[in-house]
Amino acid sequence: MIAPKLINPTWLISQTTLENWLDSLAKTRSLIAPRDVDGVLLYRPVENSRQIKWGFTRPALSAKEFFFPSTERLLKIEKTGQQVTLLETLPENQTILFGVRPCDMRGLQTLDALFIEHAPTDPYYSRRRENAIIIGLACKEMGSTCFCTSVGGAPDNSDGMDVALYETGDSYLVQAMTEKGLTLIPQTEWSLTDEIPAPAKQDAPLYALPQQDSWPAHFNADYWEHLSERCLSCRVCAYVCPTCRCFVIRDESLTVPGQFERIRCWDSCTSLNYRRVAGGHRQRANQNERLRNRFYCKFYYYPEQYGLGKSSACTGCGRCVDSCPVNIDITEALIELARLT
Amino acid sequence: MSDNPMKPYLGRLVEVKDLATEIKLFRIELLNGGSEAFCNCKPGQFAFVSAFGLGEAPFGIANSSEHGPYLDFAINRLGTVTTALHELDKGDIVGVRGPLGNCFPMDEFKGKNLVVLGGGIGGAPLRPVIQHVLDHRADYGKLTILWAARNPSLLVFTNEYQDWRKSPNTSLHLTVDTPDPTWDHSVGLITDLLKKVNPSPENSVSITCGPPIMIHYVARLLSEMGFAPQNNYVTLEARMHCGLGKCGRCNLGEKLVCVDGPVFNMEEVGHLLETYL
Amino acid sequence: MNEPKIVAFLCTWCSYTGADTAGIARLKSPANLRAIRVPCSGRVSPELIMRAFDQGADGVLVLGCHIGECHYDTGNHRAAKRIPTLSALMAFAGLESERLRLDWVSASEGERFSRITTEFVNTVRSLGPINWRADPKRVLALSHQLAKAESVPYPENNCASKTDSIRAKAKELLASGEVGCVIGYEVGPRGRTRPTFIYHDDDVERLVWNPDCTHNLTTYLPDKVSMSGALMAAHRKAPPKPVAVVVKSCDARAINVMLAENRFPREKVHIIGVVCEGVRAKDGSLQTRCVSCTERAPVIYDTLIGEAPSSIVNRKSGIELGIQTLEAAPPAERMEYWLSQFDRCIRCYACRQACPMCECPTCLYERDDSLWIGLGIGVNQKRAFHLGRAYHLAGRCVGCEQCEQACPMNIPISLLNQCLAQEVEKSFSHRAGMQAIPSPVVTVLAGEYKES
Repeated sequence: MIAPKLINPTWLISQTTLENWLDSLAKTRSLIAPRDVDGVLLYRPVENSRQIKWGFTRPALSAKEFFFPSTERLLKIEKTGQQVTLLETLPENQTILFGVRPCDMRGLQTLDALFIEHAPTDPYYSRRRENAIIIGLACKEMGSTCFCTSVGGAPDNSDGMDVALYETGDSYLVQAMTEKGLTLIPQTEWSLTDEIPAPAKQDAPLYALPQQDSWPAHFNADYWEHLSERCLSCRVCAYVCPTCRCFVIRDESLTVPGQFERIRCWDSCTSLNYRRVAGGHRQRANQNERLRNRFYCKFYYYPEQYGLGKSSACTGCGRCVDSCPVNIDITEALIELARLT
Repeated sequence: MSDNPMKPYLGRLVEVKDLATEIKLFRIELLNGGSEAFCNCKPGQFAFVSAFGLGEAPFGIANSSEHGPYLDFAINRLGTVTTALHELDKGDIVGVRGPLGNCFPMDEFKGKNLVVLGGGIGGAPLRPVIQHVLDHRADYGKLTILWAARNPSLLVFTNEYQDWRKSPNTSLHLTVDTPDPTWDHSVGLITDLLKKVNPSPENSVSITCGPPIMIHYVARLLSEMGFAPQNNYVTLEARMHCGLGKCGRCNLGEKLVCVDGPVFNMEEVGHLLETYL
Repeated sequence: MNEPKIVAFLCTWCSYTGADTAGIARLKSPANLRAIRVPCSGRVSPELIMRAFDQGADGVLVLGCHIGECHYDTGNHRAAKRIPTLSALMAFAGLESERLRLDWVSASEGERFSRITTEFVNTVRSLGPINWRADPKRVLALSHQLAKAESVPYPENNCASKTDSIRAKAKELLASGEVGCVIGYEVGPRGRTRPTFIYHDDDVERLVWNPDCTHNLTTYLPDKVSMSGALMAAHRKAPPKPVAVVVKSCDARAINVMLAENRFPREKVHIIGVVCEGVRAKDGSLQTRCVSCTERAPVIYDTLIGEAPSSIVNRKSGIELGIQTLEAAPPAERMEYWLSQFDRCIRCYACRQACPMCECPTCLYERDDSLWIGLGIGVNQKRAFHLGRAYHLAGRCVGCEQCEQACPMNIPISLLNQCLAQEVEKSFSHRAGMQAIPSPVVTVLAGEYKES
């Protein structure tokens, strides 16, 4: 991996300077950073840098929950007699996200292709992206279940971030990657440097990623049934995934009679009733079909549909590997497919 | 479409009438800018109809935009949203979001013979095709309509059959699985009827809409009869939520029924239909 | 001062008529009651009561016929069992128990009706307005971890010989054709133990027994064995032969619960019961459920692997400590604790999917046609889901803790389930799965109840 070139202005700052900077940023916008929530590492709003769980790796849930929240109100509906009024509820909050790892950033870019670039643009997601500034933190090395290098990513890839941080000894190299990011930097207070971030320690790819056009050939392989037999359809993989985006739209009543809200919330194609139609018939009633669909969507359907080119929609973050209760491991599946190809 | 594609237009029910057992026709007049959005909608497109407070569901637009300015939907009462819609009356307000999806390539069909096969409520999205052909009769060749249902009380648009038959170079063939005493047309599945009618594949395209199992068997039979896959069109349905290609629910392999369809050519989806059942 | 809003479920045969009697006799009854007439107090399902509180009721009163006088014979027995069980759960979640009351009023007891309702309203009024529904915008405090119990080291034991015995038995069963599939444990390429399905006798070397055999494999049984249901029809690999399953003592109790609920015929399962020394937690200590386990040997089995111990050490686990700590705290603090825990929940339903007892094809809380709590992921809805699920497991949960282990957010779900398990044991002397009898909370057994 080639060391990142110094094409963007870079500053060298200490941990203390970083903390002071974050404290000041928290006063201007809502600052979201990794926190310890009863032993679980999660992105949460922080009032100051002391609330951040320093030494964090990657939070249990990805950054997607701040752009594509687990529940979101789309519309408020008011019915009085035969009259109906619809009120849009578009997000307004200005945020800064701190500590976003390259895999999560890649996840957001993958969702951008769906929600923003694929017409029509989703106003809820795109507003949140516009209103957010992302301070990413590159990784120095890969975790035991990480496999970003196997899906075309890298632990020190800062592509997409507004500001990129690289740990170097006890200090940080801060690179402004976009105009938006530059607005956050107190340029008069910090000193520019020409130090270049050292490349991260990378693991070799686990497998040769099966070419996209080889996926249709494996559709009826016995392997899917073997893999999915222990699946519980628990959905955790989809919910912790930085790029899974299936959602449900529902109308629900509010406590005031005649008032309702139209909400959308996360769902997953692995659940039994995902393709249940009125009348009771279920498509993909077989667990094998559902699990296979999720893998195919990640590596073939999504890239085809939303123009990801040769990339998959998987960022290699490894959350699904960590959190599957029955150890269904996407890397095992990919290694097997590479072997079959 | 409005600026916010998740926000429906409001529509007023100008007519609600029974079409068949548990199937009603809803005629909707669009309000607040909706008419402009839908004035150019094409046969094959669909829209989400909202029963506010309970939800929305996708339905094929059952009239051609030249028969307007209203939208017809034929809705079968089966689940939460459809039951709520069935309880509405003339004058009630619903939501309409669309027009969504692609359309039948009516221009490409010009000069060709059309074989239209509708099973049950599947006839609804085919009605705008029939209306369009009848309105521009000279542009199209022979029109052969095969209409099927499980029993006579489930046939839709029965009061229009006479007009369809009156049109030149047009024939209508009916069949039911289970007849009643007054039934004097064919009895049997639509595939039996298709064999009986035996339309020629010469310069013809077929358009099928119905339950997945029907689409499977009709497609197979058409291919045996010599209809090339690229001349067979289907309009598919799937459980949908956004209709905009975002929520991922309606996928058929790498295709999304809401944006790549609902109209498909058998050449592009034939191999995917095994996952559709 | 705000008058409390009371939802009163009155059975049509007795208490509703009793209310009429009170009215005719011009006896004063409080106007705070919103009366809902039901055919029988037994019809008042806990979900209705929970919903009443979720919707803002300050108190819920359920009045039925006296025991022995129910128009439907045993309907009020059902109420007499379900409502106190629910009350224990709601109290554990932080609701003041005085806000829910069950009592008996006959058609002629106008005076009794007036007295009970007045008493109840006064009690609820003195408690003040209910503080049950959390404001979704309120930021909950983040750390409410309960004190941890001392961890118990994982005991050394001979897993290798058990592995050999399991493999031998599996080979025998498969080779003879007695079973079509053996559900057991294997170790994956990353070294994690996980469920596996063996169909051929030359494949049995995959099976293992080790300290990490944590999963409850019985969760796969109904699909593999059941002769009915849409899932079975869709499952292409439906073996016509019986299925063998490797179980620990907690898992074996799950089988008893499934048998009691007619999920599959007994003869379709060959139970390979393993005498279990416990399962190892991620930090190397003994898992909390194993610390307080009182049966090392499965209570039901066809083949026993290992020797039952002669005595069991009675120990309190972190769960019991957690329940004790919460029960000792005031209701408001308990409520804050649970709200902060459920705030983290993402409603992935992994807890439900991992649970062998949760088998409804469409979960009540996910149904399209009835919006008990809606799909939204606000803290109130999440709490309602968890409390509802815990209630549905009363007398059925075997404490295998797979729910908690599947949860990606480390929510201590077991505390709810075990609290109810303790309540059911106290009230009905019933422990889930010790025998193949259904939970007493859902059944009414003949001649079982006298008015207390």
